Amino acid sequence: MIKVGYAVGAAAILYGLLGIVRESEPLGWLVWFAGMVIAHDLVALPLALAAGTLLSRWPWLRATAAACLVVTLIALPMVLRLGERPDNPSILPQDYGRNLVVVLAVMIVTASLVRMRRAR
Amino acid sequence: MVRRPRMSPLHDERLAAWLGVALGASLGAVFLTGLVSHFMQNAPAWAAWPSRPVNLYRVTQGVHVIGGLAIIPLLLAKLWTVYPRLFRWPPFLGAGDAVERAVVGLLVPAALFQVVTGLFNIAYWYPFPFFFTVAHYWTAWILAGAVLVHALNQRRKVAHAMMTKPDDAVPRRRFLLAVGATSGVVVLTTVGETLRPLARLALLAPRLPRTGPQELPVNRSAYAAGTTALANDDGWRLRVTGRVARPLVLSRADLRALPQRTERLPIACVEGWSASATWTGVRVRDLLDLAGAAPDARVRVESLERTGVYRRSWLDAPHARDPLTLLALGVNGAPLDADHGAPLRLVAPNRPGVMQTKWVGELVVT
Repeated sequence: MIKVGYAVGAAAILYGLLGIVRESEPLGWLVWFAGMVIAHDLVALPLALAAGTLLSRWPWLRATAAACLVVTLIALPMVLRLGERPDNPSILPQDYGRNLVVVLAVMIVTASLVRMRRAR
Repeated sequence: MVRRPRMSPLHDERLAAWLGVALGASLGAVFLTGLVSHFMQNAPAWAAWPSRPVNLYRVTQGVHVIGGLAIIPLLLAKLWTVYPRLFRWPPFLGAGDAVERAVVGLLVPAALFQVVTGLFNIAYWYPFPFFFTVAHYWTAWILAGAVLVHALNQRRKVAHAMMTKPDDAVPRRRFLLAVGATSGVVVLTTVGETLRPLARLALLAPRLPRTGPQELPVNRSAYAAGTTALANDDGWRLRVTGRVARPLVLSRADLRALPQRTERLPIACVEGWSASATWTGVRVRDLLDLAGAAPDARVRVESLERTGVYRRSWLDAPHARDPLTLLALGVNGAPLDADHGAPLRLVAPNRPGVMQTKWVGELVVT
């Protein structure tokens, strides 16, 4: 049973790699595939860890900052409006910078309330 | 005295196991809903997709896109937790461990690749040199295979973490709650682009279900498709050709003289947003009967846009014969806007938006 699982997993990996080679742009794909892990493991995460070390005495603050950072990263393509099309205003119709500030503010207030309840 | 910061106790096997279970389950859900979307758009010859339930694709693609966004906090938390293991020495113990590390070496970039390209796609930003859907589809197989092998390799650790109580005071529950809450924020601020009741919370959604011409979002504008002039072109005709007893050439007036139907149907986009609208037009089934097409005929719907991968779509028999499948002349009580495909567009139940062909010029029966 376990062996069947390993065989299926290996087949899926090979099937995917073969598909990339045959139908996509293998070189451009590889740059993004490898670039992603380099950017995360060797740049983004070390920076986040260094920032986390600075905040290590305030675990509550560190957790809140991490959550806000992740939400900001997800919102960033919208905030920067890189996909904006002048002929189609129904794409990215909101003021995402302002909206992100509102979302982060609600997150920080909520986290503070949770902390105050815990402290009591 | 200089104190060396100690490593957080949360870089921990038990926490990694719980995060792994949550990730495995959610990656499984987005993989399956992704396959649904892929095969809906690239149906193999032996399988026709059903035209009901009307909102099925809306739900599966909503799960795929919003679920994919919710995975990002989980994935980043998991990678943070296991990060010290990247630098363990010696790098592997024996052949089995070397294979496991190689598989993780595919799993991590594949997972990052999928969430990043997916996020850029829903933000309509394409900075990469490959076609999004092709790379996203094939990388999904690499990711699914790597997750399966990794889960089998880690099954004993996971079982141990789930079956036993921890005997330390590491605040895992608090960490997991914070990660879950972050995913919750991401879902709440985006899901309103497809779930109307939550539209007011959709502060970070790239689309709003009521924002666009005639209160309906647009994916490709008439300007981008080069079809702006069609809306006022009196020479426009719909042709019904191919394997038919009586080929048809119909003007707008001819179409309006046929029985008109009004149906409420969603546009459910591959990018995850969806919006319902009230469409008025002629049943495709009525046109096929008028032309004398076979009841099991497949129909190719041809747009008048000259370029673009989605300039034609296929109607398999279940969709072609469904009484809800319309060629619409109007939406929400007015003639179609040029951006919604004027003079004529296809709108059918349970189908991705890119296959609701706009600026229709011809139905080719095969």
